Amino acid sequence: MTRPLLEIEGLSKSFGGVAAVDRVSLALEPGRIYGLIGPNGSGKTTLFHCVTGVERRDAGRVRFNGERIDGLEPHAIARRGIGRTFQIIRVFPELTALENLLVVTRGSLAGAEARARELLRFVKLDGLVHEYAGNLSYGQQRLVEFVRVLMRDPSLILLDEPAAGVNRTLLNDLLEAVRRLRDDGKTILLVEHDMKVVMGLCETVFVLDHGEKIAEGPPGVIQADERVIEAYFGR
Amino acid sequence: MRPRTAFRVGLVLLVAALAAYPAVGTGYGVRAMLQIFMWVALAASWNLISGLTGYVSFGHVAFFGAGAYTGAILITSAGWSWPAAALAGGLGACVVALVIGYPCLRLKGPYFAIAMLGLNEVLRALVSYFEGLTGGGNGISLPTLEATVPVYYAMGVAAAAVTLLAYLVITSRFGLRLMTIREDEVAAEAMGIDTARHKLYAFLLSAAGPGIVGALAARDQGYIEPISVFPLATTITMIVMVLFGGKGTVWGPVLGAVVLFVSQELVWARFPYLHQLLFGSIIVAVVLLMPRGVLGLLQQKYHLPRTI
Ligand SMILES: Nc1ncnc2c1ncn2[C@@H]1O[C@H](COP(=O)(O)OP(=O)(O)OP(=O)(O)O)[C@@H](O)[C@H]1O
Ligand SMILES: [Mg+2]
Repeated sequence: MTRPLLEIEGLSKSFGGVAAVDRVSLALEPGRIYGLIGPNGSGKTTLFHCVTGVERRDAGRVRFNGERIDGLEPHAIARRGIGRTFQIIRVFPELTALENLLVVTRGSLAGAEARARELLRFVKLDGLVHEYAGNLSYGQQRLVEFVRVLMRDPSLILLDEPAAGVNRTLLNDLLEAVRRLRDDGKTILLVEHDMKVVMGLCETVFVLDHGEKIAEGPPGVIQADERVIEAYFGR
Repeated sequence: MRPRTAFRVGLVLLVAALAAYPAVGTGYGVRAMLQIFMWVALAASWNLISGLTGYVSFGHVAFFGAGAYTGAILITSAGWSWPAAALAGGLGACVVALVIGYPCLRLKGPYFAIAMLGLNEVLRALVSYFEGLTGGGNGISLPTLEATVPVYYAMGVAAAAVTLLAYLVITSRFGLRLMTIREDEVAAEAMGIDTARHKLYAFLLSAAGPGIVGALAARDQGYIEPISVFPLATTITMIVMVLFGGKGTVWGPVLGAVVLFVSQELVWARFPYLHQLLFGSIIVAVVLLMPRGVLGLLQQKYHLPRTI
């Protein structure tokens, strides 16, 4: 086994009395696509928030490339190479699509612009580069958020329901893009409710229920796991 | 001529006309222009922090007051020349911004606004208390000096400098990053933008202009006291000017400062009570009908750059 890129150990976070994430441990190896699934409210988004520093964890450790990152500020975590999208879209509405991408880059603006335009072309938004992101459709905003993450060239990408609201044709492009990122050596952790997407894309799936990790394994095995079936349909 | 060229030519002509104005203008006219310059510098400075990052500074006049006292003390006690004292006033305001920006910029939304309001009251109380240095409630009288025209030029340079600064910031990636704080601070952080550092830089930049013009105003008026340099009304006027002209744009604060100052002068002279009413009505009308302000509205509607 190669050294994990991301290592989560005993991560917990509760809101009031609710344990949103409950002693979760998992490890991600470089160059793979992972799925994170679970019923509504099972803690998937909270897990993302804790890893990226958006929420402060209550307990547990997070290591990235062997280095502790829990407790760091979100921007410091992002700069180490973790990019993410949000379940509830967070584009910068009064910046144009192009500016949304340019603003997050380092280095020269001119170099960044060529790359930004290429990415926007890839998600078929080349006609809308100067449109305010807030004026784009829901699906288009998701795509802007997705390519914005790529501008910083992160080695780990956390995607929180990237397919929601994106039309079928673009969805296929998006999934293809995720595979290509993996082929480039990136690691992707994907939250997705559409089981077809998860089963077709992910090599390993983690299942959360009430904040606890109840299963981990290849999609086929997970689908037949009794605890998983119970979590989804049982109660 | 292309619009851009025409605009630049117009700008050069305007600057030339303003430079020549003291030679031909009346005393009243020069004083009025001097004050417009001051308001442009104040409004454009407020825009740098509040228009771009969305952190509404409700006590921005504190920097004006800090600059006024720094300048006045240096002139009276240390014998500094007023131009040097004006620059020191800008620096003094930046020091205040640095000290309070660090804790206060962590506060969100209304809490930051209220903290800034509090800062202004605290500064006012401090200058009243430290009588030895500030003259307390008696204020400070500066040595008499007829310097209206030189101060006119200094104010003009300050207004131009702050506007140029706003242009440079708004057209840079630094400026875009400030806007991401206004748009969505959580997303900005998650995308690797150090929002705390960016806010602090913007805050420092926004304090320098008011500090300089505060010291210039102190020189110009020849006398300052706590209530004259820390009035809440000045902050509100800055805010209304920016909201009217268009927050987050380069020329919005300039437009707001000119239009509001001129209309205030016209109405003020004739109908002192109506003036209050008019001012209040403008605030309500802008907020309700035109939350982006005149230029902000045009910019959004016609997809114009923020440099309008
Ligand atoms: N800021 C918050 N304050 C209080 N409770 C919260 C907060 N965020 C999440 N929770 C609670 O934590 C639990 C986990 O929520 P989370 O959003 O992480 O679930 P999720 O798996 O992403 O769900 P979904 O599939 O609906 O997106 C839920 O019970 C939720 O109500
Ligand atoms: Mg979620």
